[in-house]
Amino acid sequence: MDIRVLRPSDIPHVQQTNITNLPENYFCKYYLYHALSWPQLSYVAVDVSRPKKTPYDAPKIVGYVLAKMEEDPADGVQHGHITSLSVMRTHRRLGLAEKLMRQSQRAMFETYGAVYVSLHVRVSNIAALALYRDTLGFKVGGTEAKYYADGEDAFSMRMDLDYLRNEALDEESDEEDGVEKDEGGEVGSAGKAGDGVDGARKKERKRKVRVGRQLGVGELVERNESSVPELTNGTA
Amino acid sequence: MSNTQVLQSKEQTLFRHVVQNYESKQYKKGLKAAEQILRKYPNHGDTQAMKALILSSQGKSEEAFELCKVALKNAMKSQVCWHVYGLLYRGQRNYEEALKAYRFALRLDPESTQIQRDLAMLQVQMRDYDGYLQSRRTMLQARPQNRQNWTALAIALQMSGDLAGAEDVLQKYEESMRQTPSRGDMEHAEAVLYKNTIIAERGEMERALEHVDSVAKMALDKTAVMEMRAQYLLALGRKEEAVEAYTKLLRRNAEHREYYEGLEKAMGLDRSKTEDHQKLGEMYHSWGVQSDRVDAPRRLPLDFKTSDAFRQHADKYLRRMLKKGVPSTFANLKQLYSDPEKKETIRELVEGYISEQPHTNGGAERSEPNGSADDSHSTTSKPHDSATTWELSLNYFLAQHYDYHLSRDLAKARKYIDRAIELKPSETDYTYHMTRARVLKHAGNVAEASKAMNEAREMDLKDRYINTKCAKYQLRNNQHDDAVATMGLFTRKEAVGGPLGDLLDMQCVWFITEDGEAYLRQGNLGLALKRFKAVFDVFGTWEDDQFDFHSFSLRKGMPLLAKGGGVNGEGAEGAAERKKAAKKAKREAEKAEAERKAAAAKKASPAKKNEDGEVKKEDADPLGAELLKAAGESPLEEAMKWVGPLLEMSPRNVEGQIAGFEVYIRRKKYLPALKCLLAISSIDPEHPKCHEQGCRLRLALEKLDEPLPEKARQVVDSKFLRITASKGSIEEENEEYLAKHKASALHVQGVVRVRHALHPDGSGEVKEKSAKDLQHTLDSGSTTLVQAEEGLLVLSEVVEADGKAKEAYVAKARERWPEATVFQ
Repeated sequence: MDIRVLRPSDIPHVQQTNITNLPENYFCKYYLYHALSWPQLSYVAVDVSRPKKTPYDAPKIVGYVLAKMEEDPADGVQHGHITSLSVMRTHRRLGLAEKLMRQSQRAMFETYGAVYVSLHVRVSNIAALALYRDTLGFKVGGTEAKYYADGEDAFSMRMDLDYLRNEALDEESDEEDGVEKDEGGEVGSAGKAGDGVDGARKKERKRKVRVGRQLGVGELVERNESSVPELTNGTA
Repeated sequence: MSNTQVLQSKEQTLFRHVVQNYESKQYKKGLKAAEQILRKYPNHGDTQAMKALILSSQGKSEEAFELCKVALKNAMKSQVCWHVYGLLYRGQRNYEEALKAYRFALRLDPESTQIQRDLAMLQVQMRDYDGYLQSRRTMLQARPQNRQNWTALAIALQMSGDLAGAEDVLQKYEESMRQTPSRGDMEHAEAVLYKNTIIAERGEMERALEHVDSVAKMALDKTAVMEMRAQYLLALGRKEEAVEAYTKLLRRNAEHREYYEGLEKAMGLDRSKTEDHQKLGEMYHSWGVQSDRVDAPRRLPLDFKTSDAFRQHADKYLRRMLKKGVPSTFANLKQLYSDPEKKETIRELVEGYISEQPHTNGGAERSEPNGSADDSHSTTSKPHDSATTWELSLNYFLAQHYDYHLSRDLAKARKYIDRAIELKPSETDYTYHMTRARVLKHAGNVAEASKAMNEAREMDLKDRYINTKCAKYQLRNNQHDDAVATMGLFTRKEAVGGPLGDLLDMQCVWFITEDGEAYLRQGNLGLALKRFKAVFDVFGTWEDDQFDFHSFSLRKGMPLLAKGGGVNGEGAEGAAERKKAAKKAKREAEKAEAERKAAAAKKASPAKKNEDGEVKKEDADPLGAELLKAAGESPLEEAMKWVGPLLEMSPRNVEGQIAGFEVYIRRKKYLPALKCLLAISSIDPEHPKCHEQGCRLRLALEKLDEPLPEKARQVVDSKFLRITASKGSIEEENEEYLAKHKASALHVQGVVRVRHALHPDGSGEVKEKSAKDLQHTLDSGSTTLVQAEEGLLVLSEVVEADGKAKEAYVAKARERWPEATVFQ
């Protein structure tokens, strides 16, 4: 599996992976919005071990993390947010969810100065909850009542990114350039669990993004929230 | 406003409201306000135009066009009317007409930034790079204080091929900056990196390296900077430094294949040289030992190692993965199966593990340090012991091995998967049941496969992945209602149109395609066409989405960007990168679109061609029927709409070229048909269609109603006929081909098709011969189930064989594929 940053050309395939795995789906536009606004933050796991059939073969996306920066942080603190994360059932136990998440977190920290990263997860999704808490090191910050359209509550979780600050310091002082890999901060073995994650979803179906205010007769870019990001299929 | 009619101030205010309402999508309010104005000024063109725009946003595009034409009559000199006219055309994706209207509007109001901007967006979407360049120059002149206008001009220059000009523009802006941008200035950081890519694109690696080093501190996209640096060092042959650069990148992401490729090159290692394998192996080993969880450096050596070295490495790799119970192990290795020796080695190894005593070997001795976490994903399943995991892994792997088309033995596959299921891994882990369904599908038993997949689904009702699989298998078995109901367990309850409505809405392309194909299989052309059209429309929507993002990235004075914070000034020229990205997305999406159309065209066109007049009788869903009726009026022109973009966007797709030929030859367009044929033979000279379509083209050229125009005749002569002349008559060529390719079902089917093109009302003798040839293909070991199915289709539709001949074919096929539904 190749872990690399999401390219706009991956989007239709990420979209299909999402709708295969998770109940919370989005229009192409919403993915574009992520990819063009924060191009460093979303990552994909691609099965590159497939025989080529045509010069136009689509990448086989077996996992992805769709991430963004919170545009208007209520607490005034720069932070990232995981909109959606999922890994194909057939590709579990490879630690893909964790690997994807780590890449995204580092980019949030390095590029946007994110202090922490947040996400939401259905209270019933024990598998995803375990992944975030035990494997990735997220903490439950609270519960949001009726967060999901079907009335289910969400745990809101977050994880501080200071471990990356330490890593960055280590890297700078790492004179000898040896081959020791700093695994600080990596906890446990990933890839367990539900692999589906979720992200946030607000209750309204559509929300205007500020993007378009003065656009004359142009069109507003609309964010579709009908497709709540959300959690996985969860095995639990 | 250059309107002839001047509104009073009350109406002027109202008019502004109409515009605002439109922009905020408050269409009802907007319409009400517009009608209020029109009561007093019934012929006010601008108001009519705005009303038309709102109507079109509500989906009433015919009404909108009517009204906008009236508006234009009332106010020929109004830029608003022309602008709206352009927007309406744009909405219909008639970009040529939109362009004309915008240009007219701009002539009436050369100062309008809005119209200029819309024109520029259209130009870039249409890839009219010269036009775009001109627009961007104008826009920069009008507002040189905006950085994004500079970057946008640079992009335009880059796209038109003037890299030096692009760099120059970026440079000029940087020089004009009065103060150093702040550290978090994303726009600046991205623009600087964009400039760096231009320098590199000019081929000036030395300068690109210097530049990237000089900006590394302030750049915010650290990964990008590191990657650029590594590439430049490699290109400059500064190998030691390149090794260091790739090492640093790999420390950040040890699963990215590109970094390993870079590192190999930097180390001067070449996989194709046996003498380098030792060093390559050591290099990968050094990365593998650093983390227990990294896969790439363990898996990659299997690509280049051979014979004993391969066996040893594969042994280690397989034991490790199977011990862990990684379900994707087979998927991750099957690429190696194109090498028969590696395929055989892997089989031997894993079958060898089976005969080992459990517990004594295979690493079943201890569980992974973090192994327990791996199993905890399912709270209802008890973590199984390592011996069970090992045994499960082996049986699962071998089941997949014997199910794979390059190593298929379905009886064995079934034996292994049944064994895995017997081990009862857990109540909710449906993995093995899912594979059992897959094996049944490959045996052709689509009904049982669908049933088995449903059983798998029922093991874990909260899991959408298995739900998806189940719906797919139901469609393969033509269970439309069941499939929709299955999908409905996960679609939004409130969606208009039920589950199918939600799937259409959510652009669930796979489902719509499979649903269409199932209808096609059953001869329900109306609904099939309707579904394929829906897929086509999804791609249209995606294209439009990208259109909106041209402006998203470059929109003037985007409040979002200007405000900072928020998206961090992302855009304006972060836009540079974005923009290129979007372009690329578009190309890619178009390719995908084209492919999708290929599939659709291929399927839709025979329907149209063959049925023509009769299609109207189709008993289809009312809408599907109407669609089919409309298509049936000029089916070949309709088919061009589908196959045209395909040929344009993915010319190296052989299926597309085949479909192209079929449409062109029916339209008697022999030159383009020849072009498709030549494309097929350049992509795959052994493709059976080269022969079949070649013969059919020869035949058509022999029976021309009127001679070809001189120029066309010359081309056909030099590129085609001169070569076929040596092959004797078509009849002879065909039989000779048959003799040569007797063992290949697809080639024989091609021969039969040609034979019946030569003898359209074939005698009993011809039919008999064809039936016999087709039957013979069932004896050939290489014939697959899918090919045998195709043979049956040829037998009944091309040969129009009688019941007896078909029965004989089916009976023989059933012997070989006893479970295949299609031969029951």
